[in-house]
Amino acid sequence: MKGWRPSPPLLLLLPAIIVLAAVVVLPLLLSLYSSFTPFRLTKPETLWVFIGARNYINILSNGDFWIAFARTVVLLTVALNLEMLIGLGLALLVEKASRGQRVLRTIMMFPMMFSPILVGFQFKFMFNDNIGLVNNALQALGLTDRAIPWLIDGNLAFIAILTAEIWSSTSVFAILILAGLLAMPREPVEAARVDGCTPWQTFRYVTWPFIMPFASIAMTIRSLDVARAYDIVKIMTDGGPAGRTELVWTLVARTAYSDARMGMANAMAYFSILLSILFTVYFYRKLAAARTQIAAEW
Amino acid sequence: MDQNSLHRVRNKALGIAHGVGLFLAMLVICLPGIWIVLSSLRPTVEIMAKPPVWIPQELSLDAYVAMFSGIGKGGIPVLDYFRNSLIVSVTSTVIAIAIGMAGGYAFARYRFRAKSAMFLGLMLTRTVPGIALSLPLFFVFARLGIIDTHFGLILVYVALNVPFTIWLIDGFFRQVPKDLAEAAQIDGCTRWQAFWQVEFPLAGPGIASAGIFAFLTSWNEFALASQLTRSINSKTLPVGLLDYTAEFTIDWRGMCALAVVMIIPALTLTFIVQKHLVGGLTSGAVKG
Repeated sequence: MKGWRPSPPLLLLLPAIIVLAAVVVLPLLLSLYSSFTPFRLTKPETLWVFIGARNYINILSNGDFWIAFARTVVLLTVALNLEMLIGLGLALLVEKASRGQRVLRTIMMFPMMFSPILVGFQFKFMFNDNIGLVNNALQALGLTDRAIPWLIDGNLAFIAILTAEIWSSTSVFAILILAGLLAMPREPVEAARVDGCTPWQTFRYVTWPFIMPFASIAMTIRSLDVARAYDIVKIMTDGGPAGRTELVWTLVARTAYSDARMGMANAMAYFSILLSILFTVYFYRKLAAARTQIAAEW
Repeated sequence: MDQNSLHRVRNKALGIAHGVGLFLAMLVICLPGIWIVLSSLRPTVEIMAKPPVWIPQELSLDAYVAMFSGIGKGGIPVLDYFRNSLIVSVTSTVIAIAIGMAGGYAFARYRFRAKSAMFLGLMLTRTVPGIALSLPLFFVFARLGIIDTHFGLILVYVALNVPFTIWLIDGFFRQVPKDLAEAAQIDGCTRWQAFWQVEFPLAGPGIASAGIFAFLTSWNEFALASQLTRSINSKTLPVGLLDYTAEFTIDWRGMCALAVVMIIPALTLTFIVQKHLVGGLTSGAVKG
């Protein structure tokens, strides 16, 4: 009898599994453990003190954390929906263009190559209350005569962050939905028109089902990276003013590195990981459903 | 007016509205970038002017000269940051592509148990927010003494890029018909030869664009790099950008100049891959 030999796919996947286990899974297990300790970076010996779920209880009874958590969920929900809508609109606009589609598509990809930290910086610059482009333009057009404190007022800062977030990520949706539109056969649309559908009906019942899977792909890709918003917020407001734009991620960073309370921060980090995983699994399942639909229809 | 000409007028109006909408959308997309480039070329006085100066009076490359002239003269060590960014991004990309090719091939060509769950599992490692992952990594790296080194950052970026690279490369291998490799094997190639001589060249452009995508991810990453780097030994450009805000006042012009330096490689590379990138994303995901 021959000895056990690993199957080829397992062998091929082994390097990926090893790297991911070493750099992601093991450290996360460590942080899971340390979330049950009062670990502080300044006092290494506290890593060995076990305090049970006290960190989690503290967090759950902490109003600031819940506010930051709720704000993160709201930001993501609003941002993802708007990105989807605007991306769809943009894709439809470009698809309708008779000339220069290539150039338009290239321009559309422009925001994708901006590092999130750069996006944050450029919008911090543009929304600056004193010298920013937005205020200057509004004042020059006579829409307002005072400087709007974009990044200083809590609600306005939220809008500014949302704008930056949408600007940077809409192109993912636009490009993939456009790919779907271009791959779509023409006949069904024409048939619908002949049968007397209004443009809205044509879109809703013919075009949309076709491009839905592409929108799901975009959503899945996007949801892999929701935490990118940290970079943008970090540089635009850093959670300020007075914690009014604090997101889960900035709160984690502050607790861990400014307050050096690693145990507590790890416990919080687990909530943020959970949030990301929920988003991804949700959209991944939609993607899987879309796949089976396509397999059946195409 | 008869119905015919009414229809024509309406069509014309719709056409104009479409053009205007398209123009506005493109303007919103481009404006921030243009504004950054413009600001990097203008003197600080003009940027700070109140009321604003809309039309630049003078353009100069002073900001770039100051930036590259070293720490003493109001510059930051951009060359060091640039070198670090380049080393870390290129190395981690090459390794991630090698690992991703093996993994992507496994997903595209073999059937095995728990394949779908495995794929999702790989993707989920990618969703872990950088800042959450940085906490334990910071601690472990500090213990191992690889904090503030290229090696540490490369290791992290390889792990960061592998899942998505697998997704993309899986898609590109699926586009290569299975029959080609089988034909080659019938003609006497080993599976290994068939891969390198037939499938690899066909999937090549796609793999290259997956590589560029991985490069961009490393090039742009901030959350992890900001915690795992300390000094010019390993600080990358995104972290270096914060050097300008660390002071009490922000040097807008300098920051704009650094932003331009950061964006140029990314810009060039994205233009090269754009066509393949979309193909890889959609085919991999749709023809599941």
